[in-house]
Amino acid sequence: MESSFAAIRRLRDDKMGEAAHDHFTLNKFHDEIMKLTIKKALEIITNQLGPLPCSFCFFVMGSAGRMEQSLWSDQDHGIVYREKNDEVKNYFWQLGKEISRGLFDAGYQYCDGGVMASNLLWCKSLEEWQIQISNWLDESNWESIRYLMIFMDARPLFGEELYVQMLKEQIYYIQNKSVQMTKFLNNSLYMKKGINVLGKLLTETHGPYTGSLNIKEIGLFPYVNAARLLALKENHQEPSTVARIGGASEAILPSRLKDLYQHQFIQLLNYRLSYAQHSNYHTGHYLPINKLTKEEMKEFKDIIRNGTALFNTVRKLIEKEDSYGN
Amino acid sequence: MNTEFLMNSIWVMLGAVLVILMIGGFILLETGSTRMKNAGHIAGKTILTFSIGSIVFWAIGFALAFGKGNALIGFTDFLYSGYEIKGLSLSGAVYFLFQLAFAGISLTIAFGGFAERAKMGAYLIFAVLFSIVVYPPIAHWIWGGGWLSELGQQDFAGSTVVHLTGAMAAMAATMILKPRIGKYNKDGSANNLAGHNQVFTALSVLLLWVGWFGFNAGSTLSVDKGFFGYVALNTNLGAAAGTVAAMIISWVVQGKADVPMMLNGALSGLVAITASCGFVAPWAAVVIGFIAGILVFYSIRFFENRKIDDPIAALSVHGAAGVWGTLSNGFFATKALASVGKPGLFYGGGIHQLVVQAIGVIACGAFAFIVSYVLLLLMKAAMKGLRVTEEEEMMGLDMSEHGSYGYPELVNAEQKLNA
Repeated sequence: MESSFAAIRRLRDDKMGEAAHDHFTLNKFHDEIMKLTIKKALEIITNQLGPLPCSFCFFVMGSAGRMEQSLWSDQDHGIVYREKNDEVKNYFWQLGKEISRGLFDAGYQYCDGGVMASNLLWCKSLEEWQIQISNWLDESNWESIRYLMIFMDARPLFGEELYVQMLKEQIYYIQNKSVQMTKFLNNSLYMKKGINVLGKLLTETHGPYTGSLNIKEIGLFPYVNAARLLALKENHQEPSTVARIGGASEAILPSRLKDLYQHQFIQLLNYRLSYAQHSNYHTGHYLPINKLTKEEMKEFKDIIRNGTALFNTVRKLIEKEDSYGN
Repeated sequence: MNTEFLMNSIWVMLGAVLVILMIGGFILLETGSTRMKNAGHIAGKTILTFSIGSIVFWAIGFALAFGKGNALIGFTDFLYSGYEIKGLSLSGAVYFLFQLAFAGISLTIAFGGFAERAKMGAYLIFAVLFSIVVYPPIAHWIWGGGWLSELGQQDFAGSTVVHLTGAMAAMAATMILKPRIGKYNKDGSANNLAGHNQVFTALSVLLLWVGWFGFNAGSTLSVDKGFFGYVALNTNLGAAAGTVAAMIISWVVQGKADVPMMLNGALSGLVAITASCGFVAPWAAVVIGFIAGILVFYSIRFFENRKIDDPIAALSVHGAAGVWGTLSNGFFATKALASVGKPGLFYGGGIHQLVVQAIGVIACGAFAFIVSYVLLLLMKAAMKGLRVTEEEEMMGLDMSEHGSYGYPELVNAEQKLNA
């Protein structure tokens, strides 16, 4: 029997070619596919368990939250619903599981770390979510800071947007901000080196991606992490990296630098879209640099260096403020 | 009995013990650098093959290498009975043991090229053949009064005799056995079949490093003027420079200080300084070791790119560094220390010694490779293949060759997880 979501997968496969030429069109297309999946899942669950018991919001995080998805993407999402009782909890948990299964059938692989609405950690009532975020902020250990950082990239995709906004405000308007900023910084410091001291790009030396560069870890992460920290510092709830950079105050990033970093980040996404082999989720993360022309190679190295420069600017800013704050 | 004879005998006996202890270093090195499912096999076969090599070398190999004969081979003193050897100012039995230990190390290096895929029978038969046909002629040419020693070949403790010979046999085996399952992808890219224990590998390097004091300093064969101390000093400097160089080059090129590479750098420094430890100045030992550390980094990449799957980097550590170490005498051998041959290029000797060293490298390398290759091809035909079946290789040689795992609990747990 054909899966309930097979038609959505067919639609995705048929239309992907048209959407994949441009990064912004592609991300809008992902949103459409995911919304169709949610609607289908809702239909299934309402048939099984009855009508929606209360309002809710389904939100996406990770690259989907930041609108930075490639052709293939894994799942990162959650649910927040208004009422708190066991029956409602079960209803939305079943919905979360159905959406997750549907997204998988539609071509989005499961999240290895379990950041999905099918996991009760990410599927809660508004009140429970508020308590959870408050606890994460109080605990401030490696794991809870990581969860907060994941949640910072949340973007409402379906349902009541206000809930996600309320929860994000809880994170953005924290007490002792400079101290918390340092903790967020400490969770973002690891960066895979992209260029060696001889100025050569560091590609994979073994395995199926030998000779290709891990564009996700080397290229994108410095921009994404720096922009997220900037957003927290400057209270900008926009999840996309480009918007976050744009939202930084002039004192931190002069317009000239903002334009440069935004342009370079978009170029990076374009390189990924144009050159990575998008046969599956993993291949999309590797850039075969031998395909780049001499000029492109020069630009690409420049982008990598600027990502590191942006991250270092943000790091110094946070470290400086923390030393004053303490 | 005079004191010098006694002192020399004690010193060289200590050297022999240290060199035999290096077999322990090789057990840890090979085991740590390969996968868990082959650990018991690798550890056990090393002891067994050293035992076979010992008996064969006693019965035949020693006579071929050090017996009286012509420029190519010796042919007296089979079944060595412990008598004193003319012209030696130390116990003949101690000298024999010392030489036996060297032959054992060369054999152990050769088996690096067999790792993780050869049948147990291939190890046993090749141990016999190598100890008769491959190692003794080369030892005779350079150390037993053969044609290369007549030419003035400088190989103080065996960069060529022990290391290059072993490495060339390893290369023949590696080429005939073909890469391990999963090493190369369809598109030709290589996978990193990482060793299962870097701690073992690091400990092995320390054990080998200490053992090398017996290997090199013991090769003075005498305590006269405490020259062994000077040799030990050079040995230590070569190893240290190799370690630092490999660490620097991996950091510069790959952006990370690669631990296995750093350890290979230490060993390549030791291998390179083995030929020259008694002929060069300490500053030259640093240069020789440093260059060996850089060389091993590129050599490992070179062999890997050519689809030569060398699990413990025997070809690079013992082969490439062995060649460099032997040639380095042609550059750095000092006038004062060139007790054999002539001083090197940088000490006014011109290119004479460099040419002699190159002849030695080419002749010994080619001999060891060709003879090993032919022997292994004959064995392959006679044994209906040298390699275990694919299924046996997948389950690991511990189980396929011996019926029990070196780490039963861990391997069982891993299999459950993967099920």
